[in-house]
Amino acid sequence: MAEERGTHEHDHDHDHDHDLTFQPNIEDSDPSRYELMTYAMRELLMERGHLTPEELRAAQEKVESLEKSDGAKVIAKAWTDPEFKQRLLDDGNSALAELDIDAGAAKMTVVENTDDVQNVVVCTLCSCYPRAVLGMPPDWYRSKSYRSRVIIEPRKVLSEFGTEVPDDMTVRVHDSLADLRYLVIPRRPEGTDDWTEEQLASIVTRDTMVGVSNPTAS
Amino acid sequence: MSGSFAPGDAVQVIATHPPGHRRTPFYIRGKVGEIERVCGDFANPEELAYGFDGLPKKTLYRVRFKQSHVWPNYSGPETDTVDVDIYEHWLLPA
Amino acid sequence: MADTDDPRRGYHDIGGKDYGAIDPNATEMKPWERMSTAISNALGAAGRHIYVTDETRRAREQMGEPLYSDLDYYERSTESMKIILVEKGLFTEEELEDRMKEIEQRMAEARE
Repeated sequence: MAEERGTHEHDHDHDHDHDLTFQPNIEDSDPSRYELMTYAMRELLMERGHLTPEELRAAQEKVESLEKSDGAKVIAKAWTDPEFKQRLLDDGNSALAELDIDAGAAKMTVVENTDDVQNVVVCTLCSCYPRAVLGMPPDWYRSKSYRSRVIIEPRKVLSEFGTEVPDDMTVRVHDSLADLRYLVIPRRPEGTDDWTEEQLASIVTRDTMVGVSNPTAS
Repeated sequence: MSGSFAPGDAVQVIATHPPGHRRTPFYIRGKVGEIERVCGDFANPEELAYGFDGLPKKTLYRVRFKQSHVWPNYSGPETDTVDVDIYEHWLLPA
Repeated sequence: MADTDDPRRGYHDIGGKDYGAIDPNATEMKPWERMSTAISNALGAAGRHIYVTDETRRAREQMGEPLYSDLDYYERSTESMKIILVEKGLFTEEELEDRMKEIEQRMAEARE
């Protein structure tokens, strides 16, 4: 082991390169196993040329930007521009590209809540989620409780989120498994006819775009 | 598009339980549904999962099932559905 | 019939089971979780293409049920990325564990 490491350092000569050794901000608590594993992978990958500091920085900025979701903007535009909404329903990826959102290789499948249908999205096998539009998935979406239950008792789960769906409406669950990612267009609430796109976007939350709740005008 | 099914076709998910990485969930195997749409051709995730190229691509379908059929004790209305994305090699005509 | 205890069913394949009440609270990403996600994205299909998502999904299914259940989401992602990178020979388990110990030491010293 020591020998291998020695050879390696000699080859690359960056044992004390501060770009490569990670110095996290000092926290009060001891680092967890997976925190340490992340820092260790980072160092090994950089030493061996599989990752550069620039690549990592760019990727981190991308993750940070994902935490500020663009989804509400997309929905507000769909509510105010019927032709855009139709393009979104027909081909999610190219409609999102109009707003400079790159949905990547996954096929963005956009479904619309109506007076008759409430759509709700899950990934029962892992936690597939439309990150390009909605950012990182919230804890509950990733939980085994949500993944296991919403598929078999969606009305009960929706009611736990405060969403009561009357029996004369259809509940449509979407199990997003490999190459499809779903975005729900919520129903536009009554009394918002004269609202601007910005006002409309302000009532569209992440949960309404997964389909577990519905926006309200108040 | 190479797929052999069209929207509206009745299909049955193959009721097999092979080991390995599969994207067809257990609960839907053996169930009968209807093709809702053809989603396009995608590299096969069952092959990609092991470092192969997943070619030739497989046609992916969105298949709609009645909840009351999938879950015999389903308590909601008959009209409730679940849509699952399923690759062609998991589907048979029904 | 989806028998919840059917042995032919993968431990990750949980649609229709009952894992109880859903905690609706959302937490912020921790800095290391963001870094782990960024490393994964930089190495994955949109970056260096060292692996694809399907491979890390598969790794989640082979880490074993006890570990899978024990880990939270970002821990599971980190573990599955590690499994694939070791499999592809970018480093060994031993090299990684050694480096983890080194960093732990370094951090402890810096805290003093």
